[in-house]
Amino acid sequence: MRKVIMLAVIAAAGFSSAALAEGKKIGVSWASFQEERWKIDEAAMKAAIEAAGDEYISADAQSSAEKQLSDVDALIAQGANALIINAWDKDAIGPAIEKAAAEGIPVVGYDRLIEDARTFYLTFDNKGVGKIIAEEVTKVKPDGNFAIILGDPGDPNAAFLREGMEEVIGDAVKAGTIKIVGEANSDGWKPENAQKNMEQILTANNNAVDAVLAENDGMAGGVVAALSAQGLVVPVGGQDGDLAAINRVARGTQTVSVWKDSRQLGKAAGEIAAALAGGTALDAIAGATKFNGGEKGVEMNAILLTPTAITKDTLNLAIDGGHISKAEACEGAMEGVAACQ
Amino acid sequence: MKYLALGLLLLPAAAVAETAAPLVPSFTEQTATAGVRQIYAGDWEYMVGGGVSTFDCNADARPDLIIAGGTNPAKLFVNQSTPGGDLAFTEAQSGVEQTGVLGAYPIDIDSDGVPDIVLLRQGENQVMRGLGNCKFEPANAAWGLDGGNAWSAAFAATWEKGQSWPTLAIGNYIDVTQDMFPWGSCTDNWLHRPDGDKFAAPTPLKPSFCALSMLFSDWNRSGTPSLRVANDREYYKGGQEQLWHVEPGQDPRLYTEAEGWKRLRIWGMGLASYDLNFDGYPEYFVTSMADNKLQTMANPETKSATFKDVAFAKGAIAQRPYTGTDLNPSTGWHAQFEDVNNDGLADLFIAKGNVDAMPDFALKDPNNLLLQRPDGTFQEAGDRAGVAATGLSRGAALADLNADGLMDLVVVNRREPVQIWRNTTKSANHWLTLTLTQPAPNTDAIGAWVEVKMHGHTQRREITIGGGQAGGNLGAVHFGLGDQQQAEVRVIWPDGSEGAWQMLTADAAYRLQKP
Repeated sequence: MRKVIMLAVIAAAGFSSAALAEGKKIGVSWASFQEERWKIDEAAMKAAIEAAGDEYISADAQSSAEKQLSDVDALIAQGANALIINAWDKDAIGPAIEKAAAEGIPVVGYDRLIEDARTFYLTFDNKGVGKIIAEEVTKVKPDGNFAIILGDPGDPNAAFLREGMEEVIGDAVKAGTIKIVGEANSDGWKPENAQKNMEQILTANNNAVDAVLAENDGMAGGVVAALSAQGLVVPVGGQDGDLAAINRVARGTQTVSVWKDSRQLGKAAGEIAAALAGGTALDAIAGATKFNGGEKGVEMNAILLTPTAITKDTLNLAIDGGHISKAEACEGAMEGVAACQ
Repeated sequence: MKYLALGLLLLPAAAVAETAAPLVPSFTEQTATAGVRQIYAGDWEYMVGGGVSTFDCNADARPDLIIAGGTNPAKLFVNQSTPGGDLAFTEAQSGVEQTGVLGAYPIDIDSDGVPDIVLLRQGENQVMRGLGNCKFEPANAAWGLDGGNAWSAAFAATWEKGQSWPTLAIGNYIDVTQDMFPWGSCTDNWLHRPDGDKFAAPTPLKPSFCALSMLFSDWNRSGTPSLRVANDREYYKGGQEQLWHVEPGQDPRLYTEAEGWKRLRIWGMGLASYDLNFDGYPEYFVTSMADNKLQTMANPETKSATFKDVAFAKGAIAQRPYTGTDLNPSTGWHAQFEDVNNDGLADLFIAKGNVDAMPDFALKDPNNLLLQRPDGTFQEAGDRAGVAATGLSRGAALADLNADGLMDLVVVNRREPVQIWRNTTKSANHWLTLTLTQPAPNTDAIGAWVEVKMHGHTQRREITIGGGQAGGNLGAVHFGLGDQQQAEVRVIWPDGSEGAWQMLTADAAYRLQKP
């Protein structure tokens, strides 16, 4: 009995000293924290929150929408002054947003859209990703026969990426200087499906393909395999910052991999949440723009971070950022890749 | 010191009460020896389905099995198990050996006392008239059933008031011809209502949202069951879960938000119902991907059509694997409430398995066996009970296959052999097996409620056809009785008449006949 009482006293003392501190509490609700990538986000987020003099508290919904609602309740009960919510199910998170609003607690929707004007939306610019893929490839090959390898037809991101590409190549296609000689969806974003699609496009065009825009790096890998089988090397773009893709950039078989650096996102979320906890209004966050590209078209305050284009000239960013080792990135690198010298 | 001593004495007692764990049942796999050999096979058009049903097709009071085969023929297995013995079946040439079968539901359509079967198919559905001794013949033409040409995956049946012939609801999934872009191609579900002693032309249930399970259930005890439909969010556009009014002589109509219905969007795969809290109203379990749903009526006093999600609070959410290292979310299919340890509390089995190899979902996804505790919460015991198999499970059936009062288990897996387990639990708990019959029509008394008095509360089961994943049980229902050696039992028959309470001695099977 005595031991129990002493523990309780210590806990109470610990609590009151925390309550006396000037910092705020930032509550972070993760959707499914066991996935490796979120640990990278978390480290950057935690560092930014602590740098602002605030405290990081978190919960893991373990892939459960109902648990996430309970987690948010618990974070609020623990005294969170601002919330960062990485929603497991955007359609089921509503009651958590209501509860936070009722308590006057600001919310950052992290990486996944929570389409409610009372939340601040932070993500990478997906349309921008498609745009960068097309920009980097057209820098190298501004005209000719293009093939486009799209992702899974059921995934709205495939359409966003394609829209971004269109912004870059649309005029050239209309003018006839770029000719799209093949465009195909790859079920499940699978490299083997992309490879089959590319093989068919090459056959149909007697190998006369001058450049390929692929919607992710895995599929770009399938494309490069299909090209290599025909002894071809043409500009190929992809995204994700896959380690194999970065190495292909060094080897010269892939032109660009657009990389969404999770640390940028985590850091920005920590900073935004700290500002919101300190009383800054949603629309007064530095760099905030308006976003209305969700299903319901709700206008929201948002920051859409620009991802990083990893090309032979910028390969150092991925290495310096600790995303990939120099040895792994540069294995078999071609001449003229500065980062591999 | 006296108070302190008292405190010390009380504490361990309280701790014991809090952690009182349910009796973990023991299941012994008998796949190799039971004589049940079937594989649910096929490409994407068989990614759902794979149902197994139990029913007695040769009037020997032992449950026989019909199991879908997808591109393999469906198979019927006749029960040869001796009471209290190992599970033993022989495959019979019954007439149901058709390919393209996703599921099968036994039902005595013509009320001749011999069960018939509805085969849900990729293509034309088929009603099979039971001829006795586990023989069946096609009866679409004789009974006027339009079998359609859809991808049928869900089924439910009821006898509407004043009808001598049943009303069948058939759930149709995506348009199989849209294999390049199936999203948004949900086809119409059909309601086959009677026209005398045959079926009228089907009524489309518009809108339809890729149904994977349907159940007629009297959720508000109005005397007229409604049709609950579980819909797959993966493929519908603008859809949600559904509850239909199906009232005699009226067109079916959806429950509305004005009536309390709340929009719910899940990957609805399988439905199960049971009155878990002994209030006379069924709770509903809906399997999905990640979170599963357990719903209870939110406002019993007003009986509005509002359901409250209590799966998380009750420990029944089962959203990701509980064994192994793969922590991606689960994919749930068949669900069934049965008392597997005869402690008087219904437990919950959930068949789990990836659609195929979806990378964002668990690839090794163990089936669940959630044991209910006295406080109404559930505790996972699939691994300890020996049923945590990780095949791509789809349909399943819990039924007492060897007449020992313990619920055995059959699980259908996609592309891998069907598995079967004998329940070998040793316990002093008691049970009752009850089979309802009434004069034609509706000889199996679908829509009846059976009540069993316990110490201080009443267990109740609604007799239904439908739900699950492409299969269900027709015939005997099982009750665990805990330490009760007898129980008072009565039936509320489908016409609303209440049978008399009668005391039944435990550990036996009874046939309850409507006078």
